[in-house]
Amino acid sequence: MALSLNVNGDRRGFTADPVTPLVDVLREEFHLTGAKPVCREGFCGACMVLVDDRPTLSCLMPAALAQGCEVRTVEGLAANGTLNPIQQALEACDAVQCGMCFPGMVVTLTHLMKATPGATRDDVRSALTGNICRCTGYESIVEAAVRALTAT
Amino acid sequence: MADVSATMDFRRRDAGDKLRGHTRYTVDRYLPGMLHAAVLRANVPSGRIVRLDTAKAARMPGVRAVVTAADAPGTIGIGIADHPLFARDVIRYDGEPLAAVAADTLAQAQAALAAIEVETAPEPAVLTMAEALAPEAPLVHPDWRAYEVLFEGGAREGNVAWEATVVRGDVDGAFARTDVEIIESAFRVGRQNHIAFEPRAVVASYEDGRFHIETSTQVPWGIRNATARLLGVAASQVRVTVPPVGGGFGLKFDLAVEPFAALLARASGRPVRLVNSREEEMLTCLFRENAEIRIRSAVTREGEIVGREAVVLMDCGAYGGEQIFLTTMTAHTLGGNYRLGAVRLVSRAVYTNTAPNGAFRCCNGVYNTFALERHTDEIAARIGMDPLAFRRRNVLGDGDLGATGQVFEGDVLGPMLARMDTLRDAAAPPRKLADGRLFGRATTVGTWFVFVGPSAATVNMNADGTATLVTSGVEIGSGSMMQSLPQIVASTLGIDPGNVIVRAADTDAAGYDVGVGGGRTTVALGAASLSAAQEVRTKLLKVASDMIEAAPEDLVMRQGRIEIAGAPGSGRTVAEVATRAQAQIGPVSGTGAFTGAGVPAMPGCVAGHFIDAIDIPVFAVHDCEVAVDGETGHVEVLSYRVVQDVGRALNPRAIQGQIQGGVVQGLGYALHEEVTIGTNGRVNQNGFETYRVPLALDVVPVEISLYEGAPSIGPLGTKGAGEVPILNVGAAIACAVANATGKRVQELPLTPPRVLELLLDQKPDLSLSHIAEDWADNLVRPHGTTG
Repeated sequence: MALSLNVNGDRRGFTADPVTPLVDVLREEFHLTGAKPVCREGFCGACMVLVDDRPTLSCLMPAALAQGCEVRTVEGLAANGTLNPIQQALEACDAVQCGMCFPGMVVTLTHLMKATPGATRDDVRSALTGNICRCTGYESIVEAAVRALTAT
Repeated sequence: MADVSATMDFRRRDAGDKLRGHTRYTVDRYLPGMLHAAVLRANVPSGRIVRLDTAKAARMPGVRAVVTAADAPGTIGIGIADHPLFARDVIRYDGEPLAAVAADTLAQAQAALAAIEVETAPEPAVLTMAEALAPEAPLVHPDWRAYEVLFEGGAREGNVAWEATVVRGDVDGAFARTDVEIIESAFRVGRQNHIAFEPRAVVASYEDGRFHIETSTQVPWGIRNATARLLGVAASQVRVTVPPVGGGFGLKFDLAVEPFAALLARASGRPVRLVNSREEEMLTCLFRENAEIRIRSAVTREGEIVGREAVVLMDCGAYGGEQIFLTTMTAHTLGGNYRLGAVRLVSRAVYTNTAPNGAFRCCNGVYNTFALERHTDEIAARIGMDPLAFRRRNVLGDGDLGATGQVFEGDVLGPMLARMDTLRDAAAPPRKLADGRLFGRATTVGTWFVFVGPSAATVNMNADGTATLVTSGVEIGSGSMMQSLPQIVASTLGIDPGNVIVRAADTDAAGYDVGVGGGRTTVALGAASLSAAQEVRTKLLKVASDMIEAAPEDLVMRQGRIEIAGAPGSGRTVAEVATRAQAQIGPVSGTGAFTGAGVPAMPGCVAGHFIDAIDIPVFAVHDCEVAVDGETGHVEVLSYRVVQDVGRALNPRAIQGQIQGGVVQGLGYALHEEVTIGTNGRVNQNGFETYRVPLALDVVPVEISLYEGAPSIGPLGTKGAGEVPILNVGAAIACAVANATGKRVQELPLTPPRVLELLLDQKPDLSLSHIAEDWADNLVRPHGTTG
């Protein structure tokens, strides 16, 4: 069926089965391959996007349900190409390794910074329970988030 | 030959795009006209293919090509060529490929798979090593004798795919001494899944009569050669390029999906994309192998290890693959760490009707270190010596013999243990557990080594003062290609590391390389890059010498300039010199090559080994404290410390990131990552729900000390640093849990049910009845004889 989505401020129409996972529409229709369908079961968080400012697992959300919402992907978080504070902190802390989980990490932590600006180290760790990283052992990611939170 | 230190706090250049979601991994590549492929897999662990008919599938909507065993005549393997691309007549594991389809959409390809008519006749299966080694066991490879041998020397027979032995000294004599205690331990570990976030993925095209394979791999040249072998074409007909790789950990050290896509691309004339589903990754991952180990030592009351013998069984699954090679490692891991009077070891790679295993960070070392260190604690307990004191007394030092008789150089482990004492003493004392949980601690040591082997590099000096480094190295996330290599080139040429452009791997552009793994990137590719950069440096200095009117030896390269030493601001920029050179002698470039030095073992000590002695040993000391909940069996890690032998740290922060990440992967292995195989021969854990990897709340910050200065033939004194952090985590946790509970820890992972069984004494002592009592009875043929 004909669907229409607002992604990173762009509205675009396309045809798809309404239950197509949002992550596939983002990647294949919008060519936004930042969100990664790593487990497709909602466990890993690598496909996390913001739907009306709420962190949402795009592998579990049927595309049709995102109609009428503002979808923001990791590609839409660096305004005019400038990394946002959490992206900057992750870069400064040399936190990135293979990078596959980072699109989801960035979305989750961007939301945390906005929703809970006073978040503590433990809050950051709790916030990351839905985002798995296989490379880093998390510490540098937590460190970067704490740094970004204290800088603002 | 550099005027600037190569040690830098240089941030990786790929971080920005990875943080923006712009990086295009193989899974993110979409080519115009690209088809989507899917693979039909067997659903029995053992059987005969009675009928396989693809005619109906080929007529399904959107289907462009179907390929089967008839399209892939070759076999591959390491040591023994036992592995066809598709099951041919015989199915040897659940999940073995039977056919592959390419169609306009993935849904069409999957629909076509369902339309392939397959009739199989089930055969008896051997699902465990005990079953495979039982008398009269069905053979996984009844034709094992007929296989092409790619590497001579391993003993083989029936379900024993490969056997490697070490014998040094009079072991029987040592065990017969009257002044020794004989300590025997047995251990068992399961498989570990890498869970690389990017699954095995490939996009293949057939261009100008050659295959172009874009793939997520650690071994571009390995893929080139193995694909060619399977397809029966010349290796030069295969070009492999590698986009950024979303995690490897050894999973991508072997071929997986590439030949299917290559065949389908040739058959359809269109680019073909094949990406493993997560379920395929879970069920057919080239796991870290499950293993069973018996180790026995003769130790004097004073703590001298006069004799040691061990039998290590490694499950290769249905095909030999890496495990054949990895039998080599036992000599250097289980046979490492300590001075031994006499020693004999046998490692046996055993075929079973299960998914093939493969390489995983510190292959073989992780479980052998677990076994060795737990055994060490059992020895210390038996002779009434403090386990740390026992280690201090026995760790390998300068001039000591390794298991295969190689002579170790330098005192490394001893000072590292002392460094760990300092770290531990400086830390806050362990907090009192007021909640009734049991406190335990352990300090363990580990021996690993750098895989050397051939690597090539070219450095092209550009007239704008930048340099382009061309290698077959792959950035898998470890940062070696993003940090250490450009740093090495930059320091040699006195330019900013940001001005070193690193070319992504392309087998058409760069020379042969063994691959990115085994801690070899900074060492082997680094050495090749260093000598390539040095050639460029020599050429530039010669041209600059004319321009500046000073002897080359009086010139230095720093801060993007070539200047007279001691006269900052004199001379010219590197760009000016490169521009002049380009006009005068043509564009400046340099090439470099590297391979191992080849350290000798003691003659006659080893049989069936691919590496007799280790060129670059790497040592690690780990220390941890745990709290064990007696009610639930849950183990909490309270603290974790690492002293790691890095040779020289080129980028300390990047190495620390590797250590934190490697330790956490090891914590998963030690505590909750569990793979089991059902009676149907299928891996039970098919997703993230059932396979539990560490989460942010599970981990502790690792306290790290980088130990520099140990001898290394690596460039600038480096050793690989990314592989080894996982090495002794299983050991450290197991020893700490044994220390906390007073129980005999013999298996990993230490899941709460397993820990509870230990605490409640419901766990019978591990019995490995398929390991013969007499060491020699475990061998296919006596050590030193030829078959």
